[in-house]
Amino acid sequence: MSKQETNFQFLEGFDKRVAQLAKQAEKYVHTDPDSCMFKLRLMVETMAKKLTNLQMRSDISQDLGSMLGALERGGIVPRRQADSMHAIRRDGNAAVHGSPTPIPTAMRRLHEAYKISGWFCKVIKRGSKVNLNDFAPPEPPAPLDQATKSLHGKIDELEESIERRRLATRESLLMFGPQENVKEVTRRIIEELKALDNVAAAAGEPIIDADFVALVMAMDLEQIEEDPRHGGDSRQARREAEQQLDFIKQHLAEREKVFLAERTFLIEQRNES
Amino acid sequence: MQESEQIQLATLWFLSARAMAVAGEEMAAVQEAATGLYAQAILGFEESVCRKAKDVEHIDNKTLIDCLSGVRQLPRELAEKILTGVMMISYADRKMKPLEVRWASMLASAIEVSPDDFQRCCVNARVIASMLRPHGAPA
Repeated sequence: MSKQETNFQFLEGFDKRVAQLAKQAEKYVHTDPDSCMFKLRLMVETMAKKLTNLQMRSDISQDLGSMLGALERGGIVPRRQADSMHAIRRDGNAAVHGSPTPIPTAMRRLHEAYKISGWFCKVIKRGSKVNLNDFAPPEPPAPLDQATKSLHGKIDELEESIERRRLATRESLLMFGPQENVKEVTRRIIEELKALDNVAAAAGEPIIDADFVALVMAMDLEQIEEDPRHGGDSRQARREAEQQLDFIKQHLAEREKVFLAERTFLIEQRNES
Repeated sequence: MQESEQIQLATLWFLSARAMAVAGEEMAAVQEAATGLYAQAILGFEESVCRKAKDVEHIDNKTLIDCLSGVRQLPRELAEKILTGVMMISYADRKMKPLEVRWASMLASAIEVSPDDFQRCCVNARVIASMLRPHGAPA
């Protein structure tokens, strides 16, 4: 890629501010990798704000970490893109706080920003076709000597191993595995829970019944809310716990009513036949 | 314990925990984070075991009935630890939903804990849940 060219020209037609930040980051990647990271972080923040405004309720915190978390949980940002955005946020924060950014790290994040940009364009303008070419790494102002090249190679390897490690830790902590279809698994669990709810309403639980559980849970929730660190208003805590308990009791009573109606219907049918 | 047994146990944990989180309707970030942390810090699973437990080949063919039956066969102490963890996940968002109550009662009945033991597990769960969001941070 020559010095005048850019990987991010396609962004101009979608979001001029994001395009400008991406181009600036690209310009600084060799000469000032810290500034490159500032720009990339700002770029991701601009994207996150736009996505939040377009697709989420307005009370989301404007802190970038919280915005990304909310966008990911809301299913607006897929896991892969969220990982890249978080990586840019982390390295951008580190640069802001005085931790120097190696050129290979900045280049890696720039490449990730390029991939996110293609996805971002498709999200903000639905139906738009964005065919990304291969990312062309910006060339250094002067050819690198052998020692620098070797150092960059080592930094790149280190980055790769850190990322693998981070991914492994993240995957181990998450509730769902990377190959799982979270939506489908969630739907299945809800169906099963509802079926178990029906069965339990009909047959009852032999030892610990739902009424008892609801009572214990309400008392515990009241105590949690009563804790001075959570607010500490005893009356408010009690009111909230009672409201939750009433709601559960109502649900259990309704389940019981449905069961009794079904049983009556079956008896009537048997009598008719 | 052999790795395959560890994986089986971790699969049981993730199934029980995600059922509680899903029953809570809005899966809060704190619940998701607590699930993995509890697995490693309290149940003592290694990272690799936690990852393998969620492999499709281990978890995809298991239903909640399998989960209840698996938990029922565990040694009492371990089963109570799982129940405590599940209650912690329920308390993490400080809300109680009908399916959460039902899942807790089914799990407790499967383990055959007494009402007193159930309350003890809940107290422990409450203490851990309070530590997860000590200053009323958002869920």
